[in-house]
Amino acid sequence: MSTLAPIICDNGTGYSKVGFAGNSDPSFVFPTAIATRGSTSQGSRAGPAVPAKPGHLASKRGVEDLDFFIGDEALANAKTPGYGVHYPIRHGMIDNWDHMERYWEQTIFKYLRAEPEDHYFLLTEPPLNAPENREQTAEIFFESFNIKGLYIAVQAVLALAASWTSHRVSDRTLTGTVIDSGDGVTHVIPCADGYVIGSAIKHIPIAGRDISQFVLNLMRERGEMSTVPPEDQLRVASKVKENFSYVCQDIVKEFRKYDTEPYKYFERYDGEHTVTGRKYSLDVGYERFLAPEIFFNPEIYSSDFLTPLPEIVDDVIQQSPIDVRRGLYKNIVLSGGSTMFQHFGNRLKRDLKQLVDRRLDASVLASGSVLKSSGVEVDVISHKRQRYAVWFGGSLLASLPEFYTSCHTKAQYDEIGPSICRRYQIFGSAT
Amino acid sequence: MILLEPHNFIIHTTLHEKILKPSSLDVQFVDFDGVRFHITTPERKTVILLSMHIKCWDELVRYGALEVLQREYGALLLPQPEAEYNVSLQIDLEQVPGDAESREAFVMSTALFKRNALAAPFESAFRTQKQLEASGGQGELMEIHYRDEEAIYVQAANDRVTVIFSTVFKEETDRIFGKVFLQEFVDARRLPTIQNAPQVLYSARDPPLEIRHLPDLRQSEDIGYVTFVLFPRHFQAPATASATISHIQLFRDYLHYHIKCSKAYMHSRMRHRVAEFQKVLNRAKTEVVASEKKTVSGRTLVSR
Repeated sequence: MSTLAPIICDNGTGYSKVGFAGNSDPSFVFPTAIATRGSTSQGSRAGPAVPAKPGHLASKRGVEDLDFFIGDEALANAKTPGYGVHYPIRHGMIDNWDHMERYWEQTIFKYLRAEPEDHYFLLTEPPLNAPENREQTAEIFFESFNIKGLYIAVQAVLALAASWTSHRVSDRTLTGTVIDSGDGVTHVIPCADGYVIGSAIKHIPIAGRDISQFVLNLMRERGEMSTVPPEDQLRVASKVKENFSYVCQDIVKEFRKYDTEPYKYFERYDGEHTVTGRKYSLDVGYERFLAPEIFFNPEIYSSDFLTPLPEIVDDVIQQSPIDVRRGLYKNIVLSGGSTMFQHFGNRLKRDLKQLVDRRLDASVLASGSVLKSSGVEVDVISHKRQRYAVWFGGSLLASLPEFYTSCHTKAQYDEIGPSICRRYQIFGSAT
Repeated sequence: MILLEPHNFIIHTTLHEKILKPSSLDVQFVDFDGVRFHITTPERKTVILLSMHIKCWDELVRYGALEVLQREYGALLLPQPEAEYNVSLQIDLEQVPGDAESREAFVMSTALFKRNALAAPFESAFRTQKQLEASGGQGELMEIHYRDEEAIYVQAANDRVTVIFSTVFKEETDRIFGKVFLQEFVDARRLPTIQNAPQVLYSARDPPLEIRHLPDLRQSEDIGYVTFVLFPRHFQAPATASATISHIQLFRDYLHYHIKCSKAYMHSRMRHRVAEFQKVLNRAKTEVVASEKKTVSGRTLVSR
């Protein structure tokens, strides 16, 4: 290995995943938060500190701009007087470039301990990101950090690449539907040969945070939460969600199962008060299968969003060009922490298959039972790397030799300017 | 964060994690100056193999890196390093001390792996200076080519140790920033509070006298030399000596880090200023008067 491994940096709204290509897990996963001097309310309106005397040297102007924390340290310092926590990424897009630049600076120098001059970088962007944002990012990376080369990949495409690790995937294709569910929002994104079909993307306002809230509501109603201190309740609910939840195939049968044999199916959660150390424990019951159920029956949680996930997926595929629909049905890929529930993939596949078959039957009937369809293959792929699928896909692609030729290098940037980063070559597909 | 920390964050966090919960792992990562690490569990989940590749390993061995590592890590050091790497440590997680304090000390010393390897030439220079105090004369000029185009030169004399860095800036902007920074290092010493700091000299282009005789020096516009003169007060006490070594070997990275921080600061000033100008421009826009046009009889004209 003559050159050093490329750095993969996946900055999400909630968490950033950073690490080196070739590894199977990111080296660091921490919140995309930065704690700077000055209160949050004042924000960036006041602008950066102005030096008393002109010049850019620390001895002449003070070092306020170096006084900040990122990630877990930022949250730990949130209550320190004088610091305010900011979240530079909103809805997947970079909102505050000043904070983001400094965030990257500390990610590279403090955590990764890499010299940006020696590395290629792979960054990720949400679908439908404005090309101007890409240019800004390129400007920061090439001009502030002097990196060797840059590739900006769409998160959905990387998630597709990550699914190649599943043994059920035989051909390495970049056509498929990605269901990306993180903490804030769930996206359903169709991709054809590595290009995102922008007009068909749909967002669902139900994701990890809502599931935790729903679990909390259920447990409060049953009176389980009365022993838990109020400040810990949401954390306990999300722990219950992560450790005990699964997707059931039939909700009525599941209820009956729990009622006849409660001792077999009810679980106990043991916790400890963070301050006093007092022990408490609670019963975990129906929320085990009801929590992920809000994807399939949203009416049990919210009253303003009522379309189940399988229907949304079906809609998205039906809105895509007709010649890629088979590919989209055949390769539905899960990514993100909120798709990690047991049997989530099976349930989605079954519900979607029913929808598709019903439509096929209807069209057969409409044609007077003359034309028979050969059927549409529906498959949902879940794999081991689902939680950090986007990062892992990046790691996979960046360790291919073609990665270096698809990157824009520093020399090219200097020749053409930031506009070079508006377009990137798609690579990695076997076809 | 003003100073860069000497220890490697990834080693530190990984070891702490694995001590609590051993599991198999295979991770490759880097450190400053092109150092590569590989951390694996080849046989059992509780035995971790940590390997390091340093570009200038042969030179470091010549200046006593093996002895330093032997002293720091003892039996952990493997006689035969992993293939493609220069040196390996084997850590048995079951042998790690139990109480929190000594465990932290152990993990920290492992995280200082690279620092300890690079410390060898400095330690040997400090020792040579002691010996020369009585006899006089000069010690051997030690060259450490730690990067492709840049090197550290360490030489002991009877009353001081001289450390010279050659610095190359690839980027035009960086070179100018670098020059101003390095000049500032020279000037900062005039401040009364840091009179005791080591003397810093900076020369662009021409190498200092100590290394002028070396054959492989490149003379060009983008090269510069920074000389630190360390006096015995900087390395007599063992604690100060180790702090000096930790700081001085990260000098180049420190310099580049701060050049980047300065650029980031200037960018944020520029963005702020552009936003202010944008506001002025927006104020200057003429308002489009949208008055309703009416006929004499009072009916409104509607455009179709």
